[in-house]
Order: sequence, then C-alpha cells, then structure tokens
Amino acid sequence: MWKYVKKLEYPINITKKDLKLAKSMMAQYGGPDSELGASLRYLNQRYTMPDEKGFALLTDIGTEEMAHWEMIATMIQQLMKGATIEELKANGLSGYYTQHDHANFPIDASGVPFTTAYIEATGDYRADLESDMAAEQRARVTYEKLINQTNDPDVIAPLTFLRQREVVHYNRFKELRDYYLNKFKG
Amino acid sequence: MYNYYNYPQNINFEGENLRNMNYQNDNLYNPYQGLIRGNMFKNLYQPYKNEKPYEIKPMNEQAKMLTDLDSLEFAMVDLSLYLDVNPDDRRAIELYNKYRLENEELLKLYQDRFGPILLNSDALNNMPWMWDNRPWPWEN
Repeated sequence: MWKYVKKLEYPINITKKDLKLAKSMMAQYGGPDSELGASLRYLNQRYTMPDEKGFALLTDIGTEEMAHWEMIATMIQQLMKGATIEELKANGLSGYYTQHDHANFPIDASGVPFTTAYIEATGDYRADLESDMAAEQRARVTYEKLINQTNDPDVIAPLTFLRQREVVHYNRFKELRDYYLNKFKG
Repeated sequence: MYNYYNYPQNINFEGENLRNMNYQNDNLYNPYQGLIRGNMFKNLYQPYKNEKPYEIKPMNEQAKMLTDLDSLEFAMVDLSLYLDVNPDDRRAIELYNKYRLENEELLKLYQDRFGPILLNSDALNNMPWMWDNRPWPWEN
C-alpha cells in the first residue's frame, strides 16, 4: 500500500507564468519517458525481478517517480496559473484549453495522450532493467532540453534536481543489472 | 542561524548545524547539500553544464523547517535506494538510522506547529479536522 506525505520531495515556488514551457513540460507529465510512465513501469515490472534486491529497488524508485510526477504537475499548474484564454491561444494551447482548460492531463509536449504501451514489461530482468536504464537516460536528456528553454531559477532549480535523480536511478539500475549478470552467469 | 522555539535543548536541528554535520561518510554530502544537488553520493554527481547547485531560500520559519525536513527525508530516500542493492553496508545503515531518528523528531515538531503532513500525526486529534488545511503541496 502507499501513504501520502503532504509535501513535495523538493520545494517548488514558481511565480512567473510561462505557457510555452508549461506545454513543453507535459513531456514529463504524460510523454513516453514521463515520470508517470517511469513510476508505472517500475511498479509494474517489480513482480518479475529475480530476487528481493530487485523487488526493493523497483518499489522504491517507482514510488519516488510518483513524487516526481507530483512535482511536474506542480510546475505545470504554477506556470499556467492565471493564464487567460487569449494567452493560452497565443502559446499553442487553444486545443488544450478546449479539452482540459487549466486541468492537468497526461499528454506529451505535442499533445499525444499517454498510453500504457510506454511502460514495457518483458518478464526478463535483463531486458527490463536495460530498458529502464535507457528510460532514465532519455528522461535526463529531456530535463536538459527543458532547462535550455528557461532562465527562471525558480524553474531551473527543481529541473536540475529531477535531472540528477535520473542520473542516480540510472546508476542504481545498472548496479542491480550488473549484480544479476554476475549472480546468474554460466 | 535561527531557532525554532519548541526545539528540545538536547537536539539542535538548526539549519546551520544540519548543513555542517560532521558525522557523514566522506563519500556523501550532508542532507542539505544532497538535497540541493539531487544526490547524496559524491561519485554520482554529474551537474549539467557544470552548473552550481541552487541554494534553497526559505521565505519564512515554516519553509525553513520544511527545508530541514526535506533534507533529512531526501537523505533517507537516496540512502535507501543504495541500501536496496547494497544491504551489507554497515556505515550506510548507521547513517540511514541517524537521519531516520532525526527525521522522526523533526516531523513531530513540524506537525505540532504547522499541522499534519501525515495521516498518523497527533495534530489530527483536533476540531475541526486539520488534514484539509491549505496550502496543499502544489499551491503557492
């Protein structure tokens, strides 16, 4: 089961509206390498890890990704706060306004809705962990592209936090993959 | 740097102290330095474009205390991922438990003063029900 902690993993307080960046940031809310995808991917793959190390790591990283999804949601809400219809239209969000208004909805930066096809599960630890390592790298590079699109330190700070978490998760998955390769060799 | 009026005498959670804890493993950042980097482990820190970490600048007493709580909880999250794959590292387990106990005390102080952030908080034994109280995490 899960318990809610009524705070963010890292503080976010964005006061400058930026609708173009909000639209780009949806990549991490509902895109193929989004925090939503990452969370579901690991929490769903954990059942077929070979042993307790995999059960633990995928549970804990999957849980942390859910907290990151909340951070992305918070950033999108704050970047869009108070936006008028005219402002939304001028920033490529008229379609978004029509269907979702100021609600959050898991689509990617181009408007493609989230699909479970993103979350991948083969039942093979090596295939799954190496896919997870690649997913962390893709998410890292997405954060770099998001950082490139702003000079607001209130946005860059949480983005650099999230980017570094991808680096750490990548290394933990790699550590686990290497441990299994050694354990099951021959 | 600042004092929380209800901090017990024998435990010093002041921000300055938390930022200079001297018992950490040499390979690790302290909890605050870890939080602002998104990483406790010095060997895994790879900043984008060699950028310096952003300092967190709390606007009020509650935010200061929350930053200390965030720091300890972050240290626990990052150490737990490491321990999942390295369960025989005694020093890491000792450090995890040090932060866990500090976090437990600080959580109680924070919730007594600013309201519940967990559904098992003593602060929920009040009228009216305090869980609903704003701000929620996404509000600013």
